[in-house]
Amino acid sequence: MSQTGKIDPANTTFVLLSFEGPDGYSTAGGLGVRIAGLSRALAAAGFRTHVVFVGDPHARPTEVSSRGRLVLHRWCQWISKYYPGGVYQGEETKLYDFNQSAPPFVVEHLARPAIEAGQLVVIMAEEWHTAEATCRISDLLHEAGRRSRALLFWNANNTMGFERINWGRLGYVSTITTVSHYMKHLMWGRGVNPLVIPNGIPRRLLQGADEREVARLRRSLQKAVVLTKVGRWDPDKRWLMAVETVADLKARGHDTVLLALGGVEPHQGEVLERARGLGLLVRDVAMSRPSLADCVRAFGDAARADVLNVKSFMPLPLLRLLFKASDAVLANSGHEPFGLVGLEAMASGAVVMTGGTGEDYAIHLENGIVLETADPAEASWYVRFLKEHPEVSARIGAAARRTARRFLWDRVVENLLGKVEFLAARHGALPAEPAPAGLDAAGLEPAPAEAHSALAAVEV
Amino acid sequence: MAGDVVVYTVVHQPRRLRLPAHPIPVGASAEDIERCLFDEPLNERYFRKVAHACYWPATETFAELVEQGLRLNIGFSLTVLRQAQAWDPALLRLFRRLVAHPNVELIGVEPYHSFIVLLDLERFTSRMRWASDRLEEILGRRPRVTDTTELCMSDPIYLALDLAGFDGGFIDGRPWVMGWREPTFLYHGGRNLKLLARHHRLSDDVGFRFSDRTWSGWPLFAGTYAEWLRQAPGDLVLLGWDYETFGEHHARETGIFDFMRWLPFEVQQRGMRFRTASEAIAAHAGRACHLPLPMFPATWAGSGGAEFFLGNPAQQAVFQLMLHAYNKARLTGNEQLLDLSLWLMQSDNLHLIQWFGRGGGEAAVSAHFTPREWWELGPDRIVWEMQRVYENFVRAIEVRPRLARRRDRAAPAFLDPEVAAVSRR
Repeated sequence: MSQTGKIDPANTTFVLLSFEGPDGYSTAGGLGVRIAGLSRALAAAGFRTHVVFVGDPHARPTEVSSRGRLVLHRWCQWISKYYPGGVYQGEETKLYDFNQSAPPFVVEHLARPAIEAGQLVVIMAEEWHTAEATCRISDLLHEAGRRSRALLFWNANNTMGFERINWGRLGYVSTITTVSHYMKHLMWGRGVNPLVIPNGIPRRLLQGADEREVARLRRSLQKAVVLTKVGRWDPDKRWLMAVETVADLKARGHDTVLLALGGVEPHQGEVLERARGLGLLVRDVAMSRPSLADCVRAFGDAARADVLNVKSFMPLPLLRLLFKASDAVLANSGHEPFGLVGLEAMASGAVVMTGGTGEDYAIHLENGIVLETADPAEASWYVRFLKEHPEVSARIGAAARRTARRFLWDRVVENLLGKVEFLAARHGALPAEPAPAGLDAAGLEPAPAEAHSALAAVEV
Repeated sequence: MAGDVVVYTVVHQPRRLRLPAHPIPVGASAEDIERCLFDEPLNERYFRKVAHACYWPATETFAELVEQGLRLNIGFSLTVLRQAQAWDPALLRLFRRLVAHPNVELIGVEPYHSFIVLLDLERFTSRMRWASDRLEEILGRRPRVTDTTELCMSDPIYLALDLAGFDGGFIDGRPWVMGWREPTFLYHGGRNLKLLARHHRLSDDVGFRFSDRTWSGWPLFAGTYAEWLRQAPGDLVLLGWDYETFGEHHARETGIFDFMRWLPFEVQQRGMRFRTASEAIAAHAGRACHLPLPMFPATWAGSGGAEFFLGNPAQQAVFQLMLHAYNKARLTGNEQLLDLSLWLMQSDNLHLIQWFGRGGGEAAVSAHFTPREWWELGPDRIVWEMQRVYENFVRAIEVRPRLARRRDRAAPAFLDPEVAAVSRR
């Protein structure tokens, strides 16, 4: 990748800004997982990496790990102590404080010392909560005469809060990125042309599952067809389609169970009511800190149910067993910026049915099933097809694992570093060969005429 | 012709609010609420600016002048002393040195420059006593004569100050207050407390008009001004100025320091004497005249009535919110929250938005005092965010369940010892 201006741990420091982060308190969804994975991968690659996030109020304000390379800065702790409900409780209060206090801290205590030590500082901010802070950091760096030695990225993992972003300003001060081409195209409508840097998954997800445990779990369910779905109770996740698929299969004589692992959102009521309306038997399953034996017992006790509403937090090893024990994992969202659950399930070798939006990693009948509609008949048809063709299931499952391997965090970081290196070179932030005449940086991603070039947004 | 000149000047900086308003978690501690309410970096910035332009050179100048015979009466809000303590202790030492001089009289001031004087006279009285204690601690002198906030004075305020034990107070000598009387005599309101009436016109010649090149009196020289003082009929002339007149309202380049350096000489040349407030009271007590005091408070701000602070809807809204903040804080029984509510009652918070919906000279003065940083929000948002500061405070503070339960039992609030203690202060 490198030509002359190589990005390496000796010359580059990373600063990640995000509301969510590695703490339990700070993890509400995929973002916290992403920040944890990305920061660890950068630190593992040798980079000094700072993470500024809304941390657990009872944890240490600063925590250093990975032999000093990974530094967690827990922000807004004085506010979070009043909001035990997690990172987004008291959101506006935290946002105010984050915007006010994080930018000067980042500039004075993280960026300035690194720049004065001759380093390039790469600042990567996540989601709408950090958009204003990104702009302020850029302004402060300008004021300090240090802007040319910093690259600012701002990443969108989903479309939430887009209406609160000053896109013109953000696009001017930072390089905007996102996690899929679907998101990129959505964001064209905002007048920006993001670079695409996909999400990643940790290597431990690729560990093989114990087939005997998978079989034991499967037996406990006592059903011919097992489907699993994990995600927030959100209409975008197409939960209604999932229960309607179960009803369709049942009506066709396939004794089916859906393991539903949702969140706490109110859409749950609508979904389960719909399931009952379709004649499905719904059972809640609640366990504290479940083990495999607990699951086997609980599932066995609820064997007649068509929908098992699993209300317990499922540890990762168990989740992987569940994926593997399923005939299909329904990651059938109607709007999915990336679809991390689908990729995680693929890592276990499961057959995943994705939607057709942000899941760039999914290729229909190659490494998964890509559902094009919200019609339960489509999902039902493919479930029956897979049951009839177990060899296809096996082939897809194996390909899914190969695909997941390509999205391990260290591979994603390589992708990221390539783009950082290019941008640093293009703007002279590190010594590099000049770009050949005529090769506009925007050539990376052709932009619609009305959109700003993301690369042009890197102001030096 | 007036033989005595009494110079009174007050040192004050507001504790400016944090705008845009910082949301406050419900149930937050008083310390955390405080950091949400006030913009201390902004306050420090302004304090240092004013200290450089005014407090240092003016205090050094006055320190020299009192050596040469000038009598100076000086008041300090606790706000500005607190800021000096935090950000310029050497300046605080200089203030202390000035106040220690026998030719200087320390004047009392409402400690936070607050409008508690309009809302709760009992507490106002106790706070004036408390402020005297604090001033004695910090500056080594105890005031016998007192200002209030923005020279507010009315019949009820007069009574409160008299009950607080002061010997004298000030009133702005506007025509609507004085009627047929001249401000150049000593007055009383029917009790022991004597009143010195500020000469509005002569004071504002220096306080407001000194650097106004469109004013017919410009440029004003010390000799001319001393002549004007001499021509005033009566016993004494009280001149009342912001301390910031010297170097801040009027920059050094306007000649304000030179003017002040020459003024004592010119005054004395004309056979007049400088007096401290207590000296003036002692000298003229036997001839003190009765002044029927207004029911609506007079002030030295604007056109002399409370309308300068309460004249537009934005000010009226903030004033109501001040009241809600204070009353709810009282219900909590938490002294720190009560203290914060008194900070929120700073008259400055109304002064700074006098310009809302207005034009003209007074609005220009108000706008001048509005922090430059706030103007980035635009005028509508300034008043909106200011109201939100109060709303956030009122919503965030909690009445502890123990107190709430007692109230539920219909017991009068004053039966709760904690509430009663707060109410008595």
